[in-house]
Amino acid sequence: MKQELELPDVGEGIAEGEIVAWLVEPGDYVEEDQVLAEVETDKAVVDLPSPFEGTVTELHAEEGDIVAVGSVIVTFETEGDGADDGSTAEDQAATESAETETETAQASSGQAEPDSATPAADTSTPPENAQTDTGAETPTPQSHIFAPPRVRRLARELGVDLGTIASANGDHPISETDVRRAAGQGESTQPQQATASSVEPEPEGAQTESAATPESDTVDSQSQSSVSTETEPRVSGPAANREKTLAAPATRQLAREMGIDIDDVPTDTIRDGTPFVSPADVEAFANRDSATEEQSQHHADPASGGSEMAVEPAGETGDEERVPYRGIRKVIGDNMEQAKFNAPHVSHHDSTEIEQLVETRQLFNERVDEDFSITYLPFVIKAVTRALKDHPYMNSSLDKEAGEIVLKDHYDIGIATATERGLVVPVIADADKKGVRQLAREAAELISRARNNEITPDEMQGSTFTITNFGAIGGEYATPIINYPEAAILGLGAIKERPQVEDGEVVAQHTLPLSLTVDHRLIDGAVAAQFTNDVKTYLNTPEMLLL
Amino acid sequence: MVVGDVSTHTELLVIGAGPGGYVAAIRAAQLGMEVTLVEREAVGGTCLNHGCIPSKALITASDRAHQARNSETMGINGEITVSFDTLMGWKDSVVDQLTGGVELLCEQAGITLMEGLAVFAGENSVRIVHEGSGEGAETVEFEHAIVATGSAAVELPSLPYDEDRILDSRQALALETIPDRLLIVGAGYIGMELATAFQKLGADVTVIEMLDKPLPRYDGDITQVVHNRATDLGVEFKFGYRGTDYTADDETITIQIESERGDTESITAENALVAVGREPVTESVEPDAAGLDLDDDGFIPTDGFGQTAVDSIYAIGDVAGEPLLAHQAMYEGQVVAEVIAGEPSAIDARAVPAVVFTDPEIATVGMTESDAEAAAFTPLVGEASLRSLGRALTLDDTDGFVRLIADSKTEIVLGAQLVAPEASELVGELGLAVELSATLTDVAETIHTHPTLSEAIVEAAEDALGRAIHSA
Repeated sequence: MKQELELPDVGEGIAEGEIVAWLVEPGDYVEEDQVLAEVETDKAVVDLPSPFEGTVTELHAEEGDIVAVGSVIVTFETEGDGADDGSTAEDQAATESAETETETAQASSGQAEPDSATPAADTSTPPENAQTDTGAETPTPQSHIFAPPRVRRLARELGVDLGTIASANGDHPISETDVRRAAGQGESTQPQQATASSVEPEPEGAQTESAATPESDTVDSQSQSSVSTETEPRVSGPAANREKTLAAPATRQLAREMGIDIDDVPTDTIRDGTPFVSPADVEAFANRDSATEEQSQHHADPASGGSEMAVEPAGETGDEERVPYRGIRKVIGDNMEQAKFNAPHVSHHDSTEIEQLVETRQLFNERVDEDFSITYLPFVIKAVTRALKDHPYMNSSLDKEAGEIVLKDHYDIGIATATERGLVVPVIADADKKGVRQLAREAAELISRARNNEITPDEMQGSTFTITNFGAIGGEYATPIINYPEAAILGLGAIKERPQVEDGEVVAQHTLPLSLTVDHRLIDGAVAAQFTNDVKTYLNTPEMLLL
Repeated sequence: MVVGDVSTHTELLVIGAGPGGYVAAIRAAQLGMEVTLVEREAVGGTCLNHGCIPSKALITASDRAHQARNSETMGINGEITVSFDTLMGWKDSVVDQLTGGVELLCEQAGITLMEGLAVFAGENSVRIVHEGSGEGAETVEFEHAIVATGSAAVELPSLPYDEDRILDSRQALALETIPDRLLIVGAGYIGMELATAFQKLGADVTVIEMLDKPLPRYDGDITQVVHNRATDLGVEFKFGYRGTDYTADDETITIQIESERGDTESITAENALVAVGREPVTESVEPDAAGLDLDDDGFIPTDGFGQTAVDSIYAIGDVAGEPLLAHQAMYEGQVVAEVIAGEPSAIDARAVPAVVFTDPEIATVGMTESDAEAAAFTPLVGEASLRSLGRALTLDDTDGFVRLIADSKTEIVLGAQLVAPEASELVGELGLAVELSATLTDVAETIHTHPTLSEAIVEAAEDALGRAIHSA
């Protein structure tokens, strides 16, 4: 029988993922749990195991495609009777394919229902095989495509075939939102809302492990992270709860009939400054599961994939290369935007000589028998956590909605790490309770796994303060961007011998340049300076850490 | 090229300055194109000079005179005389004002206006023949051309136009006196409009029609209202007859007519107006020279973007096929100009309204009930008569009705037919409803002004929903 695999929620509530690589091709016979593809979400790259044993008949996405969770990505031909195990197989797909959440199961079971909103299911297959391949449908006659002129124009602009949407919509009018969605634009593309972030100013990607010096290989520049909250596609999002909504009388009646408050229906369409709700929005809101599924189909539709490409202006001007802005790059970008636009940044620069620390580290490395060398980073983490305890606002975040500043009672330190894919921020939890050796081990492991793309989304969440070691690549000072919504980030410059004045004499000493950026809403310059002074004290007099 | 020829180059050449051509030219100029608009005769085309506009002026005047003569019930009495000279002078001034305005718009848009007959010389060039004696010709090379040469009245071999007794609509609109008796051959929209107008102005009008009813494109219950009114006005109808022969002298024409059964009759009048249809004007541009083929009906085939089989050449309006309507031509003109400019436009309007300025007026938009059935909808039909409508009563004009056609599944309005006073204005809202995929509820729950004729539209929508307030 025919089985379909939908992209499961492979992260924590992700909305979409990029097919990085297919490990199978049509015709391949796959075992259960065999890895089908590598999927990159905004947080990590994960392997997608097969929930079925059978032959791959079709791949519904190209490598590089962004695919919505719930979209059919692989069709299999499996042994057995389709009628009764269809839905269980689907559920299986959901539960087995990665560390997933329950939303996927919902999407999948909705999918498996024969009456799901795909009137144009492939007629060559029995009806019980809930078919979602919209490519095989008969074209919708022009007279059954209900779309106002502005929608038709938009569709032409974006290269979207209205017939495809119409067949999924029944005879319901097509909205601008429908067209944008089919074009891959708009609401469903980014679950970026409350994502945290931080970063660094300098170019990333130039370096890999080899670029990091042995001395400081633990941390690399930059950071990114993730505290994703809003994860579902728009249509199933929370009630909008507006005060005012524009809608046609029939739409209002539809909402009344469905027992829905029109002000609760989410929409991205704004007319005259007021949110505008279409009948499709109401129905989508009323029937979240099926709407989610329907939307996913649009994403899976090859036609809409193509049109998404069409939206981007082709590289017509000379030899410019145009690189898609998506995946981790886009997440980083969105996070940076959010951090920099929300939090007024101020940076404080200082440096400290660390002759004693250099010796202490040497001592540790001589005495401690580990299969890795202890870098300066664990000492910095130690110094930072100690200083944070004396400056609680440095380890806080702003809950603007509640009108409260949250002073954290835990000290989870994010380590900005440059990888080939971009900036990620693995987190060392409860860093204040760990010794230098354990910090060194954890940091080394996290960073290594981040660079090998083995890190899980879990391991990149919940930091309360972030350290970025751009100095590993080079440079003295920077203006790091906060890993939002944290309150501050500390950047480390390159450790090297620099001329210092001691007792009126210029001497060469190891120094560590420090670049601290704080959210000025929460932290004033004086506090930033005091915090930096404390960190300096712990670093140039490591014995103080014993206190 | 002939010695002495002038050759110029233009980005866009528009052939014909009627409603399609001038609109295309102006939109193209707005979009930054360098445009040449060539017109053989008069800017504004048939519509402004010899069709829609002068006929509406005549119809308005005839209505005024008729109403003034027939308002005794409102206590209005008086002797009404019509000075036809003055009326025609006023009509001409309206035409002049409009065509002058179009010319000015074109100049202000930076369009090069050329007078002459454009004849294709190839896929990218025309020769413009200046028709005045000794004015010669010149070649214009173009990157794109839009053919907007419109249509002309069809001639009956049995009744060839003679510019004296046997007239086409254009000549009928330029008569110097109101004929005592007027024969109209053809009960289509032109025949019916002018029959009504001339009858109201005092002519005795006889309409000869081969078919068994007027306005065959419209549903019988709609045309019946107009037929009845025309009969009441005194128009005589000869259905099932065709003209076979005629004799004419300086003052009258006598036409022999024959029915299908072989009955013959002869009718004498001052003039005969032949209005049996319009056909595209294509021969003058010599489409062959550009490699353009015509379809069986003589139209230039185009695609959904107005493009012909020759990439550089587009066609719009009457020359590009049905419906032969000025507003369709204007719409196509805009779209094609945008398409040439690279904008995402297409000729895909769902609702093309059509209006007949009879008494009462007929207006339609979108699908009829049978159209809807043919398109696999289950139609839901709602109707409202004007009989109980306050505004219709206060206009002393209660004949007619509004009919809405909706899809019974979604209740989306698919089309409408109206026969009513001011139906030409009322249909606008319904065109919008069809284009926006409004539902019956949308229409019914949109507040309409009281007391107006537009309330009939609400009533029809409510009737379709089974909840009409004012109808039994």
